[in-house]
Amino acid sequence: MDGAAPLLWIAAALGAAGVAVLRHAWSLPKRSAGWNTGGWALLAVSILASATAEGAWGVAIAALVTMGAALVALAAAALQSPPGRTPVSNRRVGLLPEAGEPKRIGRRFGTFGLVIVAGLLVSMGLATALRGIGGLLGWHEANSNALALFAVPVLWAVLCTVLLMQTRRCDQVVTLLVCALPVVPVLLSGVLS
Amino acid sequence: MTLAPDPATVKRALSAHAAIGLLAGALLYIVCLSGSLLVFYEEWQRFEQAAPPQMAAIDPDAVQRGMEALLATERGRTPTTHFYVDLPVEKLPTTRVITDTQSVHLDAEGNLAGPERIEWSNFLYGLHYTLNIPVAQGLVGITIVGILGMLMIALALSGLIAHPRIFRDAFRLRTRHVGGVALSDWHNRLSVWTLPFTLAIAVTGAVIGLATVASYAIAGRYYGGDTEAFYATMFGEEGKPDPAPAPLPNVAAALRYMEANHPDLRLTYVVVHEPGTAGQHVQIVAEHPRRLIFGEYYMFDSSGNFQGTAGLADGALGQQAAASNYNLHFGNFGGLPVKIAYALLGLALTAVCATGTFIWLGKRRRRGFDEPRLRAAWHAVVWGAPAALALTLAVRLTFGHAAPFAAIFWLGLAAVVLVAVAAAGRTARPVEAAIQQA
Repeated sequence: MDGAAPLLWIAAALGAAGVAVLRHAWSLPKRSAGWNTGGWALLAVSILASATAEGAWGVAIAALVTMGAALVALAAAALQSPPGRTPVSNRRVGLLPEAGEPKRIGRRFGTFGLVIVAGLLVSMGLATALRGIGGLLGWHEANSNALALFAVPVLWAVLCTVLLMQTRRCDQVVTLLVCALPVVPVLLSGVLS
Repeated sequence: MTLAPDPATVKRALSAHAAIGLLAGALLYIVCLSGSLLVFYEEWQRFEQAAPPQMAAIDPDAVQRGMEALLATERGRTPTTHFYVDLPVEKLPTTRVITDTQSVHLDAEGNLAGPERIEWSNFLYGLHYTLNIPVAQGLVGITIVGILGMLMIALALSGLIAHPRIFRDAFRLRTRHVGGVALSDWHNRLSVWTLPFTLAIAVTGAVIGLATVASYAIAGRYYGGDTEAFYATMFGEEGKPDPAPAPLPNVAAALRYMEANHPDLRLTYVVVHEPGTAGQHVQIVAEHPRRLIFGEYYMFDSSGNFQGTAGLADGALGQQAAASNYNLHFGNFGGLPVKIAYALLGLALTAVCATGTFIWLGKRRRRGFDEPRLRAAWHAVVWGAPAALALTLAVRLTFGHAAPFAAIFWLGLAAVVLVAVAAAGRTARPVEAAIQQA
């Protein structure tokens, strides 16, 4: 980290200050738009300043300092926490059957197949389609290919979350089919080329 | 207007969050734990083998002599397809010459100074990268780890939707509250404040893990199935192979060119493709200070004449992003302070994985579904995995580098889980009886 621009350390300090302001804002009895905005704005300025100072490397360093500041604040909260007994959330997640409920093993395997197997196939198809769109738009080949590589896990994670939040099987199938639509021209052009 | 999701959405997100957490479960915990330790990969190597000659730098002619000496030991055997020189750097001040089949240290004069003995470090590397699954040269393992990275992204997304107050409560940590509150608070607070780190390592890890599978699909569609051509767009092309015999390339000249023209860069690696053939060419990897990229490839012909760079430092954005993926994942971009930060944040993430399943078990228990075997199994994973890792390290220190570390780890962990489940089964009793006694 030798030779880093002074602006980077200012950016890191702004990130830590943003955490402190948010700490104050979220401790107020009533929501304060001013303090909230101030805290988030400091974090945004920290990102912009660190990017200006040292590019992506600077953003990574400033983010680590900001997270470190937050964890220090968290450690202080942990040390100052008084003993107590608060009713804990018992929200049912409906994951495993409760007394008398059927196990629905087949349905669980079906969900796994849709989320993991079909989800991967659709995500790879979408990433391949993105690669094709990049080519059509005249992007640099490396940009299109890197975007496609990064798109696979991100799209799959979003799809995974959406599918698991849907309770009806037909909704899940429709989601997958709709997401697979952009893949069709890619496949067709591949077949026709 | 509020951005908070409605209660039904929150409930469904919580279900999704729990389902993903249980699916990833123990494997994600092991990947996070091993990753936190693997941040210090170079330091583990030094710990494991302190004896090799240490040097701050090595003369280019000594490198050339060392390469020729190692290749001479392989005369009459299947020729190596690649030849690497791992150059001395601050975090690992040794020089190693590496072929497809062996890795040997050099002294400062370029003499062979004994084989590399870092099997435990490599076991840890394999555990994090492939869960030590050797099938299809690690492809199955690395893909599973990639899927775990994807699930980590999904856990972050579903966790944010499932906890509408997660930012508002971001500094609320009731460590001395009983009845599950403290556990929940630890899980949620560590999750929210490590979120940028979590997303960074989850996305980069998933990209690394799923790249092989994804590249098959993309190369299949756009490069006639040639995955090398796909990767060449980002990392540069390899030369045309020509199997006609030739003497080793003049690596010393290439290194001298770098010293003369780029004294500000840290040279980390020399790669010779197809060494000993007319088609051979040399790449020198040089770290650029204050960059996330792992380095830039400087390419040379077999006489050591500079040919150009691959463009990782100043080429297309996609090249720079792809080259930044590794350092951003492993925390190799800011020396020891960044490594320590990565290890601590990684351990926080490991704790998030552990507490998530405990929260789920606790909820089930409070709803009247006591599952002592399941709880014991999870305790065994959470405490058994670090214990099994410590056991492998103890074996390394006691019995040497040749011990089967992967077998010791996985069989040891399996034994701990089985014993814990069996013991819990023997002492299990209906939760109603326990409540009555209380």
